[in-house]
Amino acid sequence: MRAVKSGSYPGHKLIDQTAQTLWFLAPFGILLLVWAAAVAISGVPERIFPSIGGVLQAAATMIADGSLVEHTWASIQRVVIGSLIAMALGVPFGIAMGINRYVAGFFTPILRFSVSLAGIAWIPLATLWFGYGSATVIFIIFNAVFFSLVYSTVLGVSSIPREFYRAAGSLGARRLQTILEVVIPGAMPQIVTGLRVGLGYAWRGLFAAEMIATNLGLGYLLFLSREFYETNKIILSMIIIGILWLLMDRLLLAPLEARTIQRWGMIREVK
Amino acid sequence: MAVREAHIRRPIWALPLLLGRAVSKYSLVRNLGPFLPILFLWWLAVRLEVFPTAFFSGPAEVIASFGNLIYKGILPGYLEDSLYRLISGVFYSLVVGIPLGFLIGLNRTARRLAWPLLLFFQAIGDIAWLPILIIWFGFSLTTVTLVIVYTVIFPLMVNIVAGIDGVPEDLIRAARSLGASRWQVIWEVIVPGALPVIVTGIRTGLGYGWRALIAAEIIVGTSGVGFMMFDARRSAQVTEVFVGMIVLGVLWYATDALILAPLERSTIERWGMVHRPQEAV
Repeated sequence: MRAVKSGSYPGHKLIDQTAQTLWFLAPFGILLLVWAAAVAISGVPERIFPSIGGVLQAAATMIADGSLVEHTWASIQRVVIGSLIAMALGVPFGIAMGINRYVAGFFTPILRFSVSLAGIAWIPLATLWFGYGSATVIFIIFNAVFFSLVYSTVLGVSSIPREFYRAAGSLGARRLQTILEVVIPGAMPQIVTGLRVGLGYAWRGLFAAEMIATNLGLGYLLFLSREFYETNKIILSMIIIGILWLLMDRLLLAPLEARTIQRWGMIREVK
Repeated sequence: MAVREAHIRRPIWALPLLLGRAVSKYSLVRNLGPFLPILFLWWLAVRLEVFPTAFFSGPAEVIASFGNLIYKGILPGYLEDSLYRLISGVFYSLVVGIPLGFLIGLNRTARRLAWPLLLFFQAIGDIAWLPILIIWFGFSLTTVTLVIVYTVIFPLMVNIVAGIDGVPEDLIRAARSLGASRWQVIWEVIVPGALPVIVTGIRTGLGYGWRALIAAEIIVGTSGVGFMMFDARRSAQVTEVFVGMIVLGVLWYATDALILAPLERSTIERWGMVHRPQEAV
């Protein structure tokens, strides 16, 4: 019922890790087999459902002419720029709001409203404001991350127990010191969670915005390939999108969240 | 949660805040009150023409346009389309997702085989499926419904598995030693124990699901509030874009605050023995 615990004796650690990796990869092997068999047996045309060979071929051609790297890089760049701006503005803004309990309470409904609207729903307005281009896509990413980050920062700051402020105060901490040493560490687990949620919305918004507003990026690649019924390119882009998010989430966000919560959070455990 | 302290020094300028707190006992005021100053700022920004009116319209125009769209029957019709899509998508997600989630959560082999795939397919994200779905099913309701199902089902399944894992081993052992059969353990310990996390999963999934709906309506573009917004954008009717956004925001806010959040809270209070998510401020 529960995941198998790895052996506690040191010599078996490597074997365990290899076995775990194999167990992780095995389902994908099965999936590829099913895919190959399904295409071979049903004889579905390539323009409806591509074969594995077709996808590999698309990958080879697009790597060779550099377009795959170009599209992928454009998307990554937009995510990084958009979320960096959002972090630079969102965290200070959230802290400023959260530090006063009444201000925080006052703005919470507005923030919840904004979070629920953030991201994709802004696309029509963003194209009107920023035209068709990278700026619109970056704005959508910024927008999705920003509101989620501000909301969770406010939540995080206002969940810090009053006693901590008093303790810091009676130990002679000044306002700035309190912010740096009580507020930020105390709100950190929530901030990181907010970042992860916001990026989840942003990641979806990215492709929607790229499909509508630009002529570069993985979303546009998807859109363009659909126009020409190049399903092998569509599947290729989808696989790249999946791998990119897995890398980002598993290697960057989940460890960051787990570490922050272990380090500063007293509340819960993260899977 | 908040401890009331009488001895904290309050400056005179805090009086409005205190007054506000007194009034905010009424939840309607607490939830809607904060929007009034925003509304005023919005009106002021338009009045002073901070932004060109072609890109930014004021509350008065938005209300007029809202009335007009309702009078013509456009908005109610599109709203009905959107809601119908969302509800049918969620319905299928629950029908498929709950049994699958429990299978993956309870059966070790199923878990080992499905978990990596689950992570990967969740990572692809719903919107990326739109182009291939359009090729397979055309610009149809099936396409939109499938995108919503895809969006809702993954957070749901992941949360069911997490919920099952979160049921304390002691409780299962206790039930076992009292002579419960496997089914009884599942039905009377694991399901109730996992319920709070599952409800959270539904709430998260819906949060993604309705975004997917908007994107699908913009891209598939036949009808719905998302389509209305994009259509308005094409003819540079900024006011109608505003109307669409506000309608979507209010709709989701109402669903979340009036249905999902209370559902989650009451499930946690009734069955939550696992952990208590932090309460909103």
